[in-house]
Amino acid sequence: MALAVVGISHHTAPVEVRERFAFGESEGMEIIRELRTATGVEEVVLLSTCNRTEVYLHPVEGEGVFRELEALLQRRAAPLPAPASEFLYRREGDSVPGHLFRVISGLDSLVVGEAEIQGQVQTAYQRSAEADLDPPLAGPVLNRLFQTAFSVGGRVRSETAIGDGAASVASVAVALARKIFGPLKGRRVLVLGAGETSRLVVEALGRSGVSDILVANRTYERAADLAQRLAGRAVELEEIGKALSDIDIVVASTSAPHALISRRTLVEAFPSGLNRPLLLMDIAVPRDVDPAVAKEAQVFLYNVDDLRKIVDETLDRRRDAMAQAETIIEASASEFRAWQSSLRIVPILRSIRARGEEIRAAELDRVLSRLAHLDEVERAAVEEFGRRLMNKLLHEPTVRLREGAANGRALQAIQAAEMLFGPPGTPLASEEEGAPAPGDAGPTPPGGVTEEETLEGGGE
Amino acid sequence: MIHYLVLLLYIGAFVLWLRTLVDGRSTGGPPAAPPVAVAGVVAHAVALAAYVASWGELPLVGLGPSLSSLSFIIGLGLVASLAVGEAGRVGILLIPIMILLEGSGLIIGVEPAPASLDFRGAWFALHVTLAFAGIGGMALAAASGALYLAQHRELKSRRAGPVFQFLPPLATLGRMSRVGAVAGFTTLTLALALGWAWTVRFRHSFQGTDPKTIWSVFVWTVILATVLAQRTGRGPERRGAVFSIVGFLLIVASYLVVRVAERGGLFL
Repeated sequence: MALAVVGISHHTAPVEVRERFAFGESEGMEIIRELRTATGVEEVVLLSTCNRTEVYLHPVEGEGVFRELEALLQRRAAPLPAPASEFLYRREGDSVPGHLFRVISGLDSLVVGEAEIQGQVQTAYQRSAEADLDPPLAGPVLNRLFQTAFSVGGRVRSETAIGDGAASVASVAVALARKIFGPLKGRRVLVLGAGETSRLVVEALGRSGVSDILVANRTYERAADLAQRLAGRAVELEEIGKALSDIDIVVASTSAPHALISRRTLVEAFPSGLNRPLLLMDIAVPRDVDPAVAKEAQVFLYNVDDLRKIVDETLDRRRDAMAQAETIIEASASEFRAWQSSLRIVPILRSIRARGEEIRAAELDRVLSRLAHLDEVERAAVEEFGRRLMNKLLHEPTVRLREGAANGRALQAIQAAEMLFGPPGTPLASEEEGAPAPGDAGPTPPGGVTEEETLEGGGE
Repeated sequence: MIHYLVLLLYIGAFVLWLRTLVDGRSTGGPPAAPPVAVAGVVAHAVALAAYVASWGELPLVGLGPSLSSLSFIIGLGLVASLAVGEAGRVGILLIPIMILLEGSGLIIGVEPAPASLDFRGAWFALHVTLAFAGIGGMALAAASGALYLAQHRELKSRRAGPVFQFLPPLATLGRMSRVGAVAGFTTLTLALALGWAWTVRFRHSFQGTDPKTIWSVFVWTVILATVLAQRTGRGPERRGAVFSIVGFLLIVASYLVVRVAERGGLFL
């Protein structure tokens, strides 16, 4: 009864293949239903992001489920340049928890330590947890696995430097702006050029509260188009000197062959001198900003190499933190495996307890039939005596078997239980003559024995 | 005894802040330094209250108690800055000043001065407390100013190392330096006005050649210059930061000169 995950990621497939496996919410649910119908697998969580698609499954026995899932994904992702199996990877059993914990911590991400994956995993889990299906898609095992994963992801991010710093040009731009201006609400941005990189940078700044965005481009129509998308306004490229006087942040990425912002531009924009900070991010090649403007004390100028260097430094620091993150992940994966092992003993404990209860009920009937003169209080006392005796006798073996199973000795624990009490279904022998046969042990106690009671030692 | 606990807590907070700086963490779990620093300031309040209970007077007379009280007032400024999130990291410079003051007070002895003063009571308490608040404000301005220059340097050199990650934004540091200087100027002006009013009313004379009077007016002038530097000219934050650091160092240096001169009898 193993856990398994089948998936595709940036490690195994190029973007043109990964995008074929990017399933939306409704399509993902269709895949899950189809898989369940075809294989009978109970618990399923489907994670689909731009860099990975993974299907977590439990329980998986044999190859049938994998074959069915591969065929299903092949159909859904078609057309593909090669069979889906060439891009898919598979983890089974004990390696699954560690894999998920690495994924949610950002250790397996394209940009190491990126935080978005945590929310994406949460969404994937919630879809399964909230699906109105019976049995639930997020049953006891996947529920525990994902809840542990959320906790591991949080710990890795708070206890290590895996998520520290900015790891993309856009996030570096936001981090720099924040380190200069503090909160960015109300800050004004001038975008030079209507390219993709500047759009990403300005969008990131916009998410951080920048409110007023001006766009200037050689072609005014393109500037107007980008301005509309960014909820800003377009200005003529010739007007940037004038526009600069109100601006806090400039993002430059034109393909102009010469610098658009020079010391002279600044003098024109600030005739009485620049007496507040001005952040210039020049991501154009050739550069749009004359490096000499950095001599102004209040100008903070970063070119594309400076930004890239900061990104690289951040990624280096994050890689350094990976070993520390792996320690947390390994410890948590080990705890999860112990918990999963302990589940294997549950049916045996339940069986032992049920049989003990049968004997207790039969013996109680026998004793009470001989002691007909007892009143209600006395009968209750005898019944209580029998229950307590059975609980006390079963408590120690239950606890020890459970501990053994949780400590990675599930097989030995099961063997020990079977040696002492016989395989599940075997009636427990009674020391007295006339012990009831399995069929005439009297009525089964109402409610039976719950898994919780079994694991907790019968309410001792 | 409580003063030693205070010192230990301040040292602990400083070490924790230093560790955060070395780690270069900009995010993560709750930092431990601020709670330890706050615990230190609370313990300091208890220590000073115990002083009042033991000696029946405020810890404002005598060098030892005065240094401890000044350290406490700077600590109050630190606690206020902790309420502004990242701004509390100015503690990495304020805490060493507090440790130096409290440690010096302990070496000298936190007990009342043997000589009695005629200038006592509520007037005196208010005068000294406001004067300490003035110097405390200037300490906050100088610490924020120094961190402003450090962060400015990091940004200009296009580094994003541990110092960049640790320090608050330039705008926050500039604002804190301004707030510190203005608060210092206001409280010191009130302190001087109170001292002058008391002298005129009760002594019917004003000793303009008293070294402490000269020093107080000098300090007031330095803080005024800092406040003006922070508000005028090009790049006022940076210039104000430099002024606040130089001003604070001048205040400390001139105080030491006054103490040495008093003991040597130069002005007496």
